[in-house]
Amino acid sequence: MRVLIVDDETLARSILREHLARIPSVEIVGEAANGFEAVKLAEELNPELVFLDIQMPKLSGFEVLELLGERAPTVIFTTAYDEFALRAFEVHAVDYLLKPVEPARLAGAVERAAERLRSKTPAPSAHDLAVSARPPGRTLERILIRHEGRVHVLPLERIDFIEAQDDYLEFSCGGKRLRKQQTMTDLESQLDATRFVRIHRSFILNVERLARIDLYGKDSWLAILSDGSKLPMSRTGHAKLKELIG
Amino acid sequence: MHPILKRRSRLFLYLAVWIVFGLLLTVVFIFGGRAPPLWSVYFAVPMAMLLGMQSLSFWYLVQSMPPGETPIVRMVVSWVGAGLASLIVWLVIGYMWAQYLLPDDVDITDEAAGILGLMIFAGAIGISLAVLGHYLAGAFERSRNAERRALELQVLAREAELKSLRAQLDPHFLFNSLNSVAALIGNDTAAARQMCFLMAQFFRKSLTLGREQAIPLSEEVGLAQTFLAIERVRFGERLRSKFDIAADVRDVVVPPLFLQPLVENAVHHGVAHLLEGGEVCVTARRREGFVELVVENPCDPDRPPSRGTGVGLANVRSRVETLCGHRASVDVSATDEKFRVSILLPYSGANAAELRATA
Repeated sequence: MRVLIVDDETLARSILREHLARIPSVEIVGEAANGFEAVKLAEELNPELVFLDIQMPKLSGFEVLELLGERAPTVIFTTAYDEFALRAFEVHAVDYLLKPVEPARLAGAVERAAERLRSKTPAPSAHDLAVSARPPGRTLERILIRHEGRVHVLPLERIDFIEAQDDYLEFSCGGKRLRKQQTMTDLESQLDATRFVRIHRSFILNVERLARIDLYGKDSWLAILSDGSKLPMSRTGHAKLKELIG
Repeated sequence: MHPILKRRSRLFLYLAVWIVFGLLLTVVFIFGGRAPPLWSVYFAVPMAMLLGMQSLSFWYLVQSMPPGETPIVRMVVSWVGAGLASLIVWLVIGYMWAQYLLPDDVDITDEAAGILGLMIFAGAIGISLAVLGHYLAGAFERSRNAERRALELQVLAREAELKSLRAQLDPHFLFNSLNSVAALIGNDTAAARQMCFLMAQFFRKSLTLGREQAIPLSEEVGLAQTFLAIERVRFGERLRSKFDIAADVRDVVVPPLFLQPLVENAVHHGVAHLLEGGEVCVTARRREGFVELVVENPCDPDRPPSRGTGVGLANVRSRVETLCGHRASVDVSATDEKFRVSILLPYSGANAAELRATA
């Protein structure tokens, strides 16, 4: 089994390597010290199994999994302590290891992963996992986008508005436009409803960017943004916005 | 709330005492005033109970003039006034009560003259006893309250200590450190041993320092350095640190465990989020009448808003304020790439010397 180890701590990688070396079926094909490297190596080396640390600089383990999307290999998460993540793992029956890693548990997890690979059990979606691992009351804080082969980490406050196109979303931030495959409803459900309002079937607006509202016709309005751009607004969208800003 | 009216059983006991007083009064009337026995009972017992009810109001006077805090003259004047007023009301009602009880053909003025002296005497004694009783009850109540407050304070202090201990035993820190030890045992036993020593030192120090009220800055710096040494085993080259502590502030007294949480934040919310890592800088120096402490770290401009920093900072702020009052200040400045906490504490050289002498 081709295995990739992802952890930002050298020692954490070395102990995993040491334990895995005793399992004959395992072949370690690579090690990554951060999320960006992990995404790159997972695509280049095509591992069957990844040991993925949750807390890493820049990209968390969940975000790495989200970026890999459909191509994601089987994953065993590793963490020292994260009560919310652990609950999510239990809910979605995802395998995880607690640090310090116990060799017997590690062997068991590898065996289960091999079993999953053989039976081709579909993995839980990275998105569902990330959502249930978020502490209660917290909403999405940044958007991950792969655009022209590069990973962009987009903090929400930089987004002006989001527009739905055929089967993807277009994020506008300071004149730049970035695309991501996702549905409007799915994104809307994850955003903080006091900061982002769906003003139209195909537009979500960052409320902070709103300069004024113009009446456009009967039952339709235009949202004028502080940079001058104009977005159409539906009747329900207008009502939602009114309720929020009073 | 009045302590006697608070419970029905207390009120019954209180009235029973006054009934006894009334019976004594009856005896005095029969033998001292040569009044008819039955009339004496009918007259004296209700009168005694009335005096008891009137005396209940003394509690509020006791409350408004706590002994030891009120000038003695004011107390005497107030009590004489209140006692006299109460006595006069009692005598007037007594006069009417006697008139009601006496047969129509008996002239009340003759009879009243006979027992007026007795009534004044009995009333004065009753009122004096009631005042004394109320003062005793007040003292008792106060001592019970003080006891309860002391207990509450103790519980609060314990809670604070526990909270700081829990913060100290950050599970992430503990489990990750143990993971490092487990990793080192395989290929670098000397380093593994060193890590165990560092962890023992860190936990021992934070336990003992956490119990103190104030400690010299050098101790707190030592704890922060131990913490960073442990984290450096984990993060390797990514974590660098620089300490610049001026010699004349090493003995300044500071609240325990106030620098360490800041350094911990600098690592976990700052350096840990950077691919290349960064340097945590701690400086301390004198600035006019103050000691200025600064903890600085680089941070990731794209970092997600962190959990927990706010709590840690609030904790430090409240501790600094408890120890130094409003002359101390905690200032936070965050830019895209740098996070900086600076603390100003009043410089108290004498204080430091004293602490060293007792240590």
